[in-house]
Amino acid sequence: MPAEASASSGQGGAPALAHARGARRAAWTRAARPWLLLAPALAVLAVLLLWPLVRVVLLSFQNHGLRQINTGESDYTGLDNYREILGDPFLWKTVLPNTVFFAAACVFLTLLVGTLVALLLARLGRTWRVVCSTVIMMAWAMPAVTGTYVWIWIFDPLNGVVSGGLDAAGAIEPRETNWFTDRWSFYAIATLNVVHHGFPFVAVTLYAALLTIPRELPEAALMDGANAWQRFWRITVPTIRPVFAVVTILSTIWDFKVFAQVYLMPGGSGANPEVLNLGVWSYIQSFSRNEYGMGSAIAVLLTLLLLALTVGYVKALAGEGEEP
Amino acid sequence: MNRTGPWRRLGLGTAVAALLAFTLFPVYWMVSSAFDPGADHRGAAVLPEGVTLDHFRHVLDEGDFGRYLVNSALVGLGTVLLAGLLALFAAVAVARFRFRMRTKVLVMVLIVQMVPLEALVIPLFLQMRDLRMLNSLLGLTVVYLAFSLPFAIWTLRGFVAAVPRELEEAAYLDGCGWWRMFRSVLLPLVAPGLVATSVFAFIVAWNEFVFAFVFLQDDGKYTAAVGLHRFFGQYSTDWGAVMAGSTLITLPVLLFFVAVQRRLSAGLAAGALR
Repeated sequence: MPAEASASSGQGGAPALAHARGARRAAWTRAARPWLLLAPALAVLAVLLLWPLVRVVLLSFQNHGLRQINTGESDYTGLDNYREILGDPFLWKTVLPNTVFFAAACVFLTLLVGTLVALLLARLGRTWRVVCSTVIMMAWAMPAVTGTYVWIWIFDPLNGVVSGGLDAAGAIEPRETNWFTDRWSFYAIATLNVVHHGFPFVAVTLYAALLTIPRELPEAALMDGANAWQRFWRITVPTIRPVFAVVTILSTIWDFKVFAQVYLMPGGSGANPEVLNLGVWSYIQSFSRNEYGMGSAIAVLLTLLLLALTVGYVKALAGEGEEP
Repeated sequence: MNRTGPWRRLGLGTAVAALLAFTLFPVYWMVSSAFDPGADHRGAAVLPEGVTLDHFRHVLDEGDFGRYLVNSALVGLGTVLLAGLLALFAAVAVARFRFRMRTKVLVMVLIVQMVPLEALVIPLFLQMRDLRMLNSLLGLTVVYLAFSLPFAIWTLRGFVAAVPRELEEAAYLDGCGWWRMFRSVLLPLVAPGLVATSVFAFIVAWNEFVFAFVFLQDDGKYTAAVGLHRFFGQYSTDWGAVMAGSTLITLPVLLFFVAVQRRLSAGLAAGALR
């Protein structure tokens, strides 16, 4: 009887214990599962985005040239790189104006064209809307590299379509005009290229935002006697404003760090220092001159500039949101 | 709203014509120059002199462009597969589980997306150099994977969150384990989201230039975007060949974009709104 009792209590105890252990393990698995699922993605982001970001900042405080690469030493020089860059009139007279004015022109024109195209799409009938959006997709799909080559070809001084056309019209001497050597015309062509590549995103996104306006709203406004101008400012603009803010921020970030569209243009890879922007300057310092520390410092400055712009935008937006 | 006066129609017509001209002209000029036997002295001739495949033949035979295209495709496919898999796991974790630091992880992924990738060329170059992965397509694939992950995680999160929990619970009631539920219920339902993120990841990889240009030194490893650079002569450029190469790079992306455009905008809207 006692043996039986102990046996039965033993029988009762083991499953209970196993159950408790199982429950604990189940709870642990439940807690660990999201982290197991996240682990590969987080590991990739940490190794390939976060650590390089830390490293570029560390490098910007170092003199890192071929010698340091080969020996693996670190030669910390404090703020020397920054002092040299910020004290260089080349930055203030050429690189920074190139970067800022080019980006400003690109952002303004991209948003202008994109908004107009979005409004146009909203007014078109079905067939033409499909035609136009398909064509816009084609401009979007064109890779930056091939797009740049096509624009270079279009403006080629000897056999390009623009110089050919202007020559036939007697407007220019074909062999004496090279638009890629002059800073202004160089950036005008780059702007055309960037706007052509960038407006589809703005147009498609804003068009999607326009679709969220309920059909009744403009009709009701029309009933109340609002004219087209009033309807645009009172209904359309407030609806698309948040989306407009997002595409503005994104376009600004993209246009400040343009690289391939400038680097691949004739003279853009360093042969013509007049046309460098921050991104290309950083690249040339690093990979053409093997001054990786200096290049990193320029890259950090570019990043800080973008950060300041983004924070500024977000603050302005938040302030605007509080007003009404 | 429905006033269709002649002026309004004229205005719309002009606007559409201007849009089509601005958008299509570079595409037309690229393709027509690629087929033009006299591309090099074309000038302002609107129509090509004739139609020839010589430029394509030259680019593919002597230029080895076929190999570059294959390299690009390999890198693109690798990026798509890895990004889809890792992003889906991560998206399930943040959309389906409540755990500490969940919001922090999400915000971190969003911030990481803001980092200007161009600033990372130098450290990633040095890092890959130390790992002896500079001249390898795998090294490039891993880097593109990191670039496309944040966007993919955010987009897929929306799709996963949109799958009703009841479906999952029904699968559990039917005796499925978590893994089985994931495969048979969740995966088919988020497939459209996977298509959208795959398109983006592929295009990131296919179009990227700076990293491929810096990483790849052996011309057998070039991707198409870098390989095209070789056709630029020191003093003169064979424009027919460059345009043929450009057409070969652009065409797949172009057809892809046009084919998936409806799905793409739907996917964008879904990812953004949820």
